[in-house]
Amino acid sequence: ILLAQPVSLCCFQTTAALTAGLERIPDQLGYLVISEDGVLASAGELENDEHTAGVMMQMVRTASRFRLPGSAEPPFKRMSVILEDFVYTVTVSGQKVFVVKRQNNQQESISV
Amino acid sequence: MESTLEQHLDDTMKNPAVVGVLCTDQQGHNLGCRGSLSDEHGGVVSVLAKQAAALTRDPTDSPTVCLESESGNILVRTHGTITVAVHKIAS
Repeated sequence: ILLAQPVSLCCFQTTAALTAGLERIPDQLGYLVISEDGVLASAGELENDEHTAGVMMQMVRTASRFRLPGSAEPPFKRMSVILEDFVYTVTVSGQKVFVVKRQNNQQESISV
Repeated sequence: MESTLEQHLDDTMKNPAVVGVLCTDQQGHNLGCRGSLSDEHGGVVSVLAKQAAALTRDPTDSPTVCLESESGNILVRTHGTITVAVHKIAS
């Protein structure tokens, strides 16, 4: 939600800037923006979902320890958790973890 | 039984997009691996699968975790008591 008139609440504006892109993601059912201090923003099915936020932060910490030989880069650009009906997609940017819950439209299982 | 697992690992590696495969138990002990995935990855793989399971209340829904990077995708999924990780590159 963007207010037309200027507002002096800098925190509100910062949150709006963080979530503007997330709002536009097709098929999104909800999102979370998390920092080390806790949930900065949430919406939809993930609104105030502290449980999912906690699990996602744990998973990001675990995945960050994954190192492949000869690769100095961060171990992942994006992490997805694929469930039967929906997918969580997680990215890390500027000390913040962005989690988006989307509908899983994939009909076939992943072939490996 | 072990030779069957070893055979499955070898067969998985025959896929040209697959560069690594690993099987661990629930404690992160390595049951077998090939290519880019080795002993050291067992712990992270089993913990990641366990954490992902906390995202669903449906015990029959087994989540797949995918780590995407420049060096390909790591796919992790638990089947019963065994967790399998596959390292795939874009083909």
